[in-house]
This record gives sequence, structure tokens and C-alpha cells, in this order.
Amino acid sequence: MKLSVKHLPAKIYIAIIIVIVYLPIILVVLLSFNVSANVTFPITGWTLDWYIAKPKGYEYGSYISVLYDKSFWKALTNSVYVSVAAGLLTCFIVTMTALTLRRRIPGRDILFYMILLGFIVPGIALGLGNVLSHRMLGWKPSFWTPVMLDVIFAVPFGLVLMMARFEPKLMEYELSASSLKASPLQVFRHITLPLIIWEVISAAIFGFLLAWSEVIRTQFVIHGTGVLSTFILTELEINPVTTKWYAAGTILTAISVAGLIVFAWILSRQTARR
Amino acid sequence: MVKYTNYLMLLPGLLLCVFFLVIPLGIIIRIGLAESVSTAEFEIHGLTLQNYVRYFTSPQTIDILGNTFGTALITCFICFLVAYPFAYFLTFYIENQKIKSYIISLLMVPFLIDWNIRTIAWIPILGDKGIVNSTLMSLGLIKEPISLLFGQAGLYIIWLQTYVLFMMFPIYLALNRIDPDLIQAAKVLKAPPHRVFYDVIFKLSLPGVVCGWIFVFVSTLGDFLTPGLWAGGFQTLGLSISTFFGKNVWPYACTLSTVMIVIALAALYILLKMVDIKKLIYES
Repeated sequence: MKLSVKHLPAKIYIAIIIVIVYLPIILVVLLSFNVSANVTFPITGWTLDWYIAKPKGYEYGSYISVLYDKSFWKALTNSVYVSVAAGLLTCFIVTMTALTLRRRIPGRDILFYMILLGFIVPGIALGLGNVLSHRMLGWKPSFWTPVMLDVIFAVPFGLVLMMARFEPKLMEYELSASSLKASPLQVFRHITLPLIIWEVISAAIFGFLLAWSEVIRTQFVIHGTGVLSTFILTELEINPVTTKWYAAGTILTAISVAGLIVFAWILSRQTARR
Repeated sequence: MVKYTNYLMLLPGLLLCVFFLVIPLGIIIRIGLAESVSTAEFEIHGLTLQNYVRYFTSPQTIDILGNTFGTALITCFICFLVAYPFAYFLTFYIENQKIKSYIISLLMVPFLIDWNIRTIAWIPILGDKGIVNSTLMSLGLIKEPISLLFGQAGLYIIWLQTYVLFMMFPIYLALNRIDPDLIQAAKVLKAPPHRVFYDVIFKLSLPGVVCGWIFVFVSTLGDFLTPGLWAGGFQTLGLSISTFFGKNVWPYACTLSTVMIVIALAALYILLKMVDIKKLIYES
């Protein structure tokens, strides 16, 4: 690859935008090790206290370290369950739907538009509507309610990502396998799945990541400690923003970024294959 | 036989959409037309248009809709200004495919980071004691810190950071689909660079631009938390919905939601008119 000087301004522009988008996130990580409780510069000293300090007994809310904040860990556990469930369900629904939508069957457009609607309908309307529909149908809001809302939001993304990246000859391979008398299940297991496995995994990761950060829809249908996003939202309504929340944010962001690295790796892998 | 298996495979997606999308939206539309709803036993009374009359004759409506559309469209415009050159440079000036997909994934990070963290992260930069204010003060340009964060500037910055990907990605896809021969032909025929750009590249990328505007538009429409907490007492449609819902005035909240859903559906309609998404995905 030749790095021509002519394209240098363009590359600098791309770099600047990425830095602007990332600067606040980098500062969160940096400032989470600050001694001061204020989330501004200067950094008065480096410490891990906001992560692991044992409470002396009088701290509360924003001044207790992340490790000893029981509600935080409860919310984190809930978040993990919700996000994993949302990821698996997204992956399952996206795979089933994507594989079928390729075929010319009557009515597929209706389902496709419905799925698209899940992204287009504003989050607040979806959250509100689900509160009301739960009341009407007599369902109690449970663990599954936020999961379903996250899945509704994640499926359109997952579907587009998956279908746009299908192996072009996938259907031909399947056809030749089934004309050689392979059963539909065998075709799926030995032909389809190995060819789309990375798309399937990336759909699951995307569902997980979206559920991990979603708050607008989730905050309507959650009760008690809730998941992390709603927990921090309610905490910050009554408590000041201190370095503790930056420490919590660093943990959350680390998980998001870890998921995204795998996701990016999968995407680049596929690009390289083509 | 094969046909039934096909429909069976569509069933999970269909059930999900019906129970958690179509039924909730139907209920919103129905309650928006109700006179009252008893919150305890959930009985819907009456069928009337009075909520709509009340809404469209209310003097605040114009302001609130103005704010909602205003902020959403300004956000779209800012995102467009930032994202178009970005997508353009990414398409034509970065050769390495791997680096391209890494850059796109990089832009996804802010969208997939917790909303709270993403917003409080701006305090050290835009807050009263933040980098921007202290720099300006030490340069002597301002005497008092200017309120960047709890004003509209903060709102636009946060929305730009979150949704720029939604603008960038469709434009990038559209630019990628332009046949390089067309650009070459225009150059060979001695078109000046600005005409090559405007008449060939920009016009062919318009479907992506429309896609991006609509994606950003609907995303900001549904986000009531950011204007509520960070734009300081500024009313939008989403905020009114959450206020009325919080006060248990369900019919009115549902009327407002219906208005919002109609706006979103109109956006979807424009999108489908402009771009054949189906072709992009399953009929290529």
C-alpha cells in the first residue's frame, strides 16, 4: 500500500473524527483512576480506590467503590443475563428469518417490513406500547420483557448485516447437497451452518452489545435494580457524578469494546475472504 | 412440505413482531382515541378524537413540534456534514479493505456504549471546569465558564457522537456501489472536478444520503433522555410523552405517541420510495 501525500488530508480528517468520537471515552478510562471525586482535570493522583477500596462505613451512593456496591453487581448480573438472552434470541431469529427470506415465498415482504419497523418506531413509543400491552394481556413485566424489546431493536440490524454478507453461492451449494439426497437437516448442519457460522456469531454479538447499552426502551419495562443502564440512570438522578461512575463506566465500556473487537475481527475476516 | 417448513422458520420472527411490536402499537393507537382509561383494571372507555383536537389546538404544540423537528433536522445536518466527507474519503482514499472495516467498527463503539457513560463522559471536556472552558479562560477569551453541556450544544455533540455511524454507513455503501467506470468516463470527457463530484458521485449517492437522514432522524426522535437531561428544560415530543405517561394520563400520552409513530412511518415510506431496500438485501 502506497501512502501518497495527496490523500494525506483525507486520512487526517478520518483520524480527527475518530479522535473526537473517542476522546470522551478515553477520558472516562483515564479519569477513573483519579484520586479526586471530581470528574475533571487535573488528575491529582493515581489510585484504584474507586474500583476496589473497602468502604469505611459512612460512604453512600456515588462514593462507595464499585467492588463494594452491591446494587451495581446485582444490576451487572441482570445485565449479563438480559444481554446474553437477547444475543442468543437475536441470533436464533435472525438466522431463521434470513435463511427463509432468501426464498421467494408469498408474504415475505410483510415480515421484512415488520422487522424494519422495529428499528424505525421510536424507542419511547415501543417502550410505552409494551407497558400497555403487558397490562392488557395480563402479563407481568419479567426478565423477558427487556429482552424482547432489545431483540426487536437488534433483529433489523442483525438481519441486514447477515443477509448482505451471505456467501453468494450458498443456495447453489444447498441445492446440490439436497439433490444428492441429503436431508434438510443434513444440509443445514453440513452445508449451510459451516458457511454462515461467522454471520451467526456476529448476529449474537450484536444482539448482546445492543442489549448491553440500550436504555430508552428498557427503562420503561424494568423494575427494582434493573439492568446496568437503568440502574446508573436512576442513581445519577439522585446522586452526583463522581469518579466512581467513571470506574463503573470503564468496566462497562471494556465489555462493549471486547465484544466489538471480536465483531470487527469477524467483519474484517469476511472482507478478506471475498 | 418444503413450503410449510419455510413458514415454520419464519414463525419466531413473526411471533416476536406481532406480540412486541404490532400489538403494542395497535394498543397505543386505540388508547390515543379513548376518552379515559382506568389505570387499575385497565378498561378503555369511549372512542373519540378529542385528544387529537386538544393536541392540535394547544398553543404549545407548534413550539414542541418545532423543537422536535428542529433539533432532529439540525442533528441530521451536522451528522451529514461530518459523515459525507468521512464516507467519501473512506471509499476513495483508503485502499486497504481490512482497514476500512476496522474504521467502520470503530465508529460503532459510541453507539454501543451505555448511554449514561457516553453522556457523562463529556463533563471533563465541555463542563464548567472542562478542557474547553479552561482553555478559553486561560487564553482570556471568556471570563466566566460558558454553559456548553447543559444547552443545545451539548445535545448536538452527544447526538453527533452517537448517531454519526447511522449517517456514514448508508452513504458509504452507496458510494461503494458507484461504478468506477462512470467516474472515469466523466473525467475522460474532461468534466471539471466539481462537476464530476456533484453530477456523478453525489447524485448517485443520494439514496444513501436519504437513508442516513432517515436513520438519524428517527433515532433522535425516539431519544427523549438526552434532551431531557442535557438540554436544560427544553420540550420535545418524546419528553411530553414521557411526562404525560408519568402522570398516568395515558390517552393523551398515546395520542402523542401516535403522532410520533405517524412521523416515523412517513419517514419509512420516504425511505422505501427512495431506496429499494429489499433489492439491497435479498434480491440482488
